[in-house]
Amino acid sequence: MTARDAEDRVTREVVRIPQHFPARRAWWACFAVALLLLGLFFVSVAVLFGYGPGIWGNNIPVGWGFPIANYVWWVGIGHAGTLISAMLLLMGQQWRNSLNRFAEAMTLFAVICAGLYPILHLGRPWRFYWMAPYFNTMNVWPQFRSPLTWDFFAVLTYLIVSALFWFIGIMPDLASARDRAEKRRWRIFFGLGAMGWRGSAKHWHRWQQSYRLTAAIAVPLVVSVHSEIALLFAAGPIPGWASTVFPPYFVIGAAFSGFAMVSMLAVWLRAMLGLKDLVTPKHLDMLGRLMLAAGLMTLYGYLADAFTAAYEGKRELETLMDRLSGPYAWSYWSAVLLNFVPLQLMWWRGMRQHPLVLFLVGLSVAIGMWLERYMLLVTGLYRDWLESSVGYFHPTFWDWSLFAGTLGVFFTAFLLFIRFLPVISAFEIKEELEKGHNG
Amino acid sequence: MQTGQGRSELAQVFPPAADTFLRFAVVGIALLLLGLALGGWEFAESTYVTQEGWVEAQPVPFSHRHHVSDDGMDCRYCHTSVEEGPHAGLPPTHTCMTCHSQIWTGADPLAPVRQSQQTGEPIRWRRVAQLPDYVYFDHSIHIDRGVGCVECHGRVDQMPLTWRAKPFQMEFCLDCHRDPEARLRPPQLVTRMEPLGWSEAQARAFGRRVMAEHAIDPGLLDNCGICHR
Amino acid sequence: MSDGEQPGDRAPPATGRQFWRSLDELIDEPAFQARLARRFPAIARHAGDWRRRDILKCLGGAVALAGLDGCERAPDEEALPFVEAPEGHVPGIARSYATAFEYEGIAQPLIGKTREGRPIKLEGNPQHPASRGATDAITQAALLGLYDPDRSAAPRRLGAPADWALFDTELAALRERLDSTQGSGFRLLTGSTRSPTLLRQIGALLERWPRARWHAWSPVADGAGSGLPARQTRRLHLGEAHATVAFDADPLGPGPLQTWHATGWGQRRRAYQAGDGAAQLLVAEPTPTLTGIIAGERLIARADRMEPLLRALARALGVSGGGSAPRLSPAEQAFVAQAAKALDEQRGHGLVLVAEHHAPELQALARQIDAALGNLGRTSELAAQRGGPTAASLAELARDMAARQVETLFVLEANPLYAAPPALQFNRLFARVKQRIHAGLHVDETGAASHWHLPLAHALESWSDGEAADGSILLAQPLVRPWMNVRSRHELLSGLLGDPTPDRALVRATWALDGPQWAAALVQGWVDAPPPAQSAASASPEERPVLRTSSASATGLSLLVRPDPSIWDGSFASNPWLQETPKPLTKITWGNAVHISPALAEERGLANGDLVRLEAGGHSVTGPVWIVPGQERDTVLVHLGHGRSAGSRVAEGVGFSATPLLGLSPDADVRLTRMEGRDEVVTTQAHFRMEPDEFVRFVETAADPLPPEEPRPSFYPPQESKPAWGMAIDLDLCIGCNACVVACVAENNVPMVGKKQVAKGREMHWLRVDRYHSGSPDDPEHAFQPVPCMHCENAPCEMGCPVNAAVHSPDGLNLQVYNRCIGTRTCSAYCPYKVRRFNWFDYTGGDPPELKAQRNPDVTVRQRGVMEKCTYCIQRISDARIAAKKEDRPIADGEVVTACQAACPTQAIVFGDVSEADTQVSRKKATGRDYDLLAEANTRPRTTYQARIRKGERPA
Repeated sequence: MTARDAEDRVTREVVRIPQHFPARRAWWACFAVALLLLGLFFVSVAVLFGYGPGIWGNNIPVGWGFPIANYVWWVGIGHAGTLISAMLLLMGQQWRNSLNRFAEAMTLFAVICAGLYPILHLGRPWRFYWMAPYFNTMNVWPQFRSPLTWDFFAVLTYLIVSALFWFIGIMPDLASARDRAEKRRWRIFFGLGAMGWRGSAKHWHRWQQSYRLTAAIAVPLVVSVHSEIALLFAAGPIPGWASTVFPPYFVIGAAFSGFAMVSMLAVWLRAMLGLKDLVTPKHLDMLGRLMLAAGLMTLYGYLADAFTAAYEGKRELETLMDRLSGPYAWSYWSAVLLNFVPLQLMWWRGMRQHPLVLFLVGLSVAIGMWLERYMLLVTGLYRDWLESSVGYFHPTFWDWSLFAGTLGVFFTAFLLFIRFLPVISAFEIKEELEKGHNG
Repeated sequence: MQTGQGRSELAQVFPPAADTFLRFAVVGIALLLLGLALGGWEFAESTYVTQEGWVEAQPVPFSHRHHVSDDGMDCRYCHTSVEEGPHAGLPPTHTCMTCHSQIWTGADPLAPVRQSQQTGEPIRWRRVAQLPDYVYFDHSIHIDRGVGCVECHGRVDQMPLTWRAKPFQMEFCLDCHRDPEARLRPPQLVTRMEPLGWSEAQARAFGRRVMAEHAIDPGLLDNCGICHR
Repeated sequence: MSDGEQPGDRAPPATGRQFWRSLDELIDEPAFQARLARRFPAIARHAGDWRRRDILKCLGGAVALAGLDGCERAPDEEALPFVEAPEGHVPGIARSYATAFEYEGIAQPLIGKTREGRPIKLEGNPQHPASRGATDAITQAALLGLYDPDRSAAPRRLGAPADWALFDTELAALRERLDSTQGSGFRLLTGSTRSPTLLRQIGALLERWPRARWHAWSPVADGAGSGLPARQTRRLHLGEAHATVAFDADPLGPGPLQTWHATGWGQRRRAYQAGDGAAQLLVAEPTPTLTGIIAGERLIARADRMEPLLRALARALGVSGGGSAPRLSPAEQAFVAQAAKALDEQRGHGLVLVAEHHAPELQALARQIDAALGNLGRTSELAAQRGGPTAASLAELARDMAARQVETLFVLEANPLYAAPPALQFNRLFARVKQRIHAGLHVDETGAASHWHLPLAHALESWSDGEAADGSILLAQPLVRPWMNVRSRHELLSGLLGDPTPDRALVRATWALDGPQWAAALVQGWVDAPPPAQSAASASPEERPVLRTSSASATGLSLLVRPDPSIWDGSFASNPWLQETPKPLTKITWGNAVHISPALAEERGLANGDLVRLEAGGHSVTGPVWIVPGQERDTVLVHLGHGRSAGSRVAEGVGFSATPLLGLSPDADVRLTRMEGRDEVVTTQAHFRMEPDEFVRFVETAADPLPPEEPRPSFYPPQESKPAWGMAIDLDLCIGCNACVVACVAENNVPMVGKKQVAKGREMHWLRVDRYHSGSPDDPEHAFQPVPCMHCENAPCEMGCPVNAAVHSPDGLNLQVYNRCIGTRTCSAYCPYKVRRFNWFDYTGGDPPELKAQRNPDVTVRQRGVMEKCTYCIQRISDARIAAKKEDRPIADGEVVTACQAACPTQAIVFGDVSEADTQVSRKKATGRDYDLLAEANTRPRTTYQARIRKGERPA
């Protein structure tokens, strides 16, 4: 078939989705569940603000508990999008084009969920803005030695940049959607998003510049954000935390969990929206490889962490031993199990390209990485220096409900995205087709 | 490659002017945000928040101007504990009656005072100069070091009804704690309301001398623990 | 405790206020509360848990978050000046009055600190030898007792509110009857008291009505093995005792004598540290006590082994009366040998003690040994009774009630229906008494079962007097006028006798003092009354004891019933400060347990918290087990005072009552059977083993220092300032008595959070006393370690805080600025000592006005969601700084005394300027025993510890 046909098909396939949504029933089912969770989120937050953080299992010594663990996990999820999209864009990896759009969307929503947690976990959330440097009548500024201050900046910046990157990327497709729309209200809807995009050579030129520029900004941010979050732990004099391995360890771990999430979403969308021709086995294969690579690096992180602990000796070693055999050993071992054992299937192409397998491996990694965050946080705090201050952590119903609630926030947003916006960047694929046929 | 056929249809939905509108809108939003920020700052500084110059309705229309300027009473006649304790103290009804059992004995405005004297029920004044409860301010040490009443309470001698003369915000306290020099005066003049007629240089010279002899170190005066516990 | 719906006019306005006050006002409106209650039934569910109802205030937080707190325009506030200013009153300046607080018949000399007429803190009377400024935990908490919202406020007749007039008419009728019958059928039952005025009044009563009788009783004095003198027959001077041998006696343990004894011990021990003489302590005991834990030699022996041990000691010292040689185990022989050696070396400075609940013969023998060694009269003296009426016992009362000879029973400050030994069947007999009148602080078990309940004035709001531990007479003057319709015990008795007199006049009448003398006595707090007559120092020949051989079988379990270290015999059960104070040895709060030895636990397969039934002499109690390392294998220990069924919301339903086990014969056989299920025992410490760490460090003798530490480099510059505040805690002097903990609570408005919160690990104590043991669990080495904030020079918390709420002050304080804190809890996560406390809920906002009135106005009351911690009592530092500044002088050494330091009876805690070499604290830190806790964390703590010294012999 000619390039023109192929292009039209691509455009039709992609742009058709919002206007003649293929899987309405499935979508409504998912959306109902998401809304339910979203409701749970609001209830949990109301109760939280009503009663105070005491509704959680947190205590002294474990003053952080779920909110921070979930925060780190969500930010981690939020990494893959930018990595896949921006980094691969800069490296000119064409295969990314079928994945980047919804990966970016995922990033955006995950970072929003992550951003909620540090605020919700405060004792006086209505004062969170004191973390921001702004002119005030108290002549008081944030404390710039604190990793939290930089967390605040890092996450905020990351949120803004990922949002920009996503929007710039989607703009041309909004335009073509606008142009193909039959109903007027769709034209207006897409038209507003397209911001008057006419696809002139000038537009494309500007677009190329800004898109690549934002990508270039986004990539280092990916590294900085999670390094920052790692400092949250590494900066404290707590055995099992105060380790220079943490920043790279966290970044890789984040990418790992992110790729897992992307794989799951890819498989899911592919099935639900029938994008088999666009999200091809090749894409699944690449995702599998990425997961495997990130996983192996994370595994190395585990070993490096253990090694430094053993090398340091004394309390560091005690903490390591406590992680391996203490009351929270279950979290350590199940993290190792879920993160690295199913992952080994990814060595085989067949497995990588098998959607269900890929999905399940992704799932187990997502859960495993959550357990890792939990383990790192709790084992660090519940027993640190003085034997007298040992205290155990037990999550309560509200810990879980808020976590489930944030899942609601994520999926509600994501479902709305796939329902009303082009999930796959049609024009970029077409670009590739173009290249393919002309060159 | 261009989405060619789009342009014609586009016309139906968005006129070419839309782009211009859009640009204006973007600029407008930016300006709006800026405006909000500035507005917020203005509000925080506004006298509505600081209550600067707002007159409180009092049970008795007590005039500091009359008692201080006309009668020439010293602040300490009524605010007795200002030199010994953290609080300046409000005068007991008894103090008012020392004079007002002789003069203005029947005046209507003083009815609440007489009533308080008879019933033993205190007069319920509305506080004018008031700090948050987490601020621990001690009058006595400020008086002792020669910080004039007027520095914080303004020209009380010119207030027919009392209002807050200065914005009691943290920055207001800090301004002085970080640079007390120009705000110190001889202890015997602390209650004097009229300007001392010193030039900035004179005031600073005197302040430096006081700070030297009392070992007042601004470096120690602006740490949180001085006011917050 | 806190519906926030109490009538606000009862108490002066609270000073510790919340930050968005307008909301609070809204929320305090009953209408609003009703609406909330309807909308949030959950609130009702929390009713059981003390202070959880403060959710109301938390909802305030939600509203605030909704943006309603606006830009914090300060809400309008009223100022109410006096009509007539009280003389010498300066607003904001505290005034202090000498007073006293009596419990268990012994009065504690106190200085009461008041602000704007509200008592806010109790300190020991520094001039009085029985205190030297120190207090015990129970006395510290007496302040809260004054403000207890559940105190009975008005007379009740048959359970219904009544008024005094009605009672007075009934009283008149009664008086007529008694006058006609010479008082036959009238009985007065009081707790153990030695107030001369009260005794004088009782004397007058018995004189007027010869056929009436007076019974005095307290569950502790009456048999419960407390090691506490029922009638203090022997007064100890531990300050003189270079070598003390204690048999099952716990002179340093909780109780009204603790301050007196611990002060003496501290004196002696400090002298020994300075190289003057010895301070040896040898203890033989069945279960670890505060005395046993700091003893150089501790022998674990059953209670019934005390007799042979003592006899062996007598023989070893060649004191006649030892009888035939008892059979001893090698360990026991070694102990006796050591004891004999120590006492022999320290002739004239030795002391032999036997717990008062042991046979009188044993007491006598102990005195005999002391007499023979020339100790008597130096390390202890026999305290003769003052004159006055003699009281009959509770048993006699029960007997007469059974014989229907009691028509009217007036119960004053006693609660027999809760605490009487079951053998007396008091409840049944009590119901048969025609006229039952009860006067007490609460409508307790006895009050509820009486015809009349009369609200008693608290000790701190009434005039009285009492006998201090050293025998001197203290005057108790009120710190505040009663704000409820109550009468003091003296007023009640004078009313009974028909001439109602204000208690001030009554006390004054007891002491023939002219104006100036009276004034002087009130200022100093005691009357220079003639000291009690000294009886002959030596045991006279005819009273040479004939020892009965121990009947208790050396097999089977041996039961100990002792007063609770925190709430004593239950009379303080309504005091949350005491309920939440972790018990010194187990760290159990809000409840009690059946304490057993590790060996026994293993044998019976019992774990902490397992329910057991404890039977003895046909009576039984059921409660959770707690394993106490170092307890004698077959000894079982339970504490009195819990399981109250009436009195106050705080007291009710906490723990189980051990009173059924009171008053049993020592050889009743004891059975321990496992029950189904478990009961949560809530402690503030989960792990007690110290190995492999050395949190508490030891040296052998006072002479040898700790091994030198290698210097630890740091990137931070060293902190130098004048003054530079620091603290030294001498673990060799700490007896773990908790006085500092409660003093800190009282001084710093530390909220109590209740059992559920403590169980979650959310107790709020700024100062905790950690307890460790090392070595075999059967006979470990015990140690205490008070842990306040270390005020690190390189504080990790300060680095972690994003908003500058945790900052360092120029004078070396590690500040926590509550109003800046947003509650990220990073500081706590980074704190190696975990001394920071977080307000998980609004623990204070919903308090009733009484509790708000108690708070220290110089300390911010913390809002929900902020972190708090020890401040080195910054409010006291500020006061001293301002005072010094006014006089242009540096702050003198000892001018700033922290609350914990002031309360400590052994002066284990010293605070001051570490930048000067010749301050107390610097001298302490200069000793070779000084060390940093967790030095490896390199936080450069300003609070350092002095290692404990194992031995106490005079350096050779």
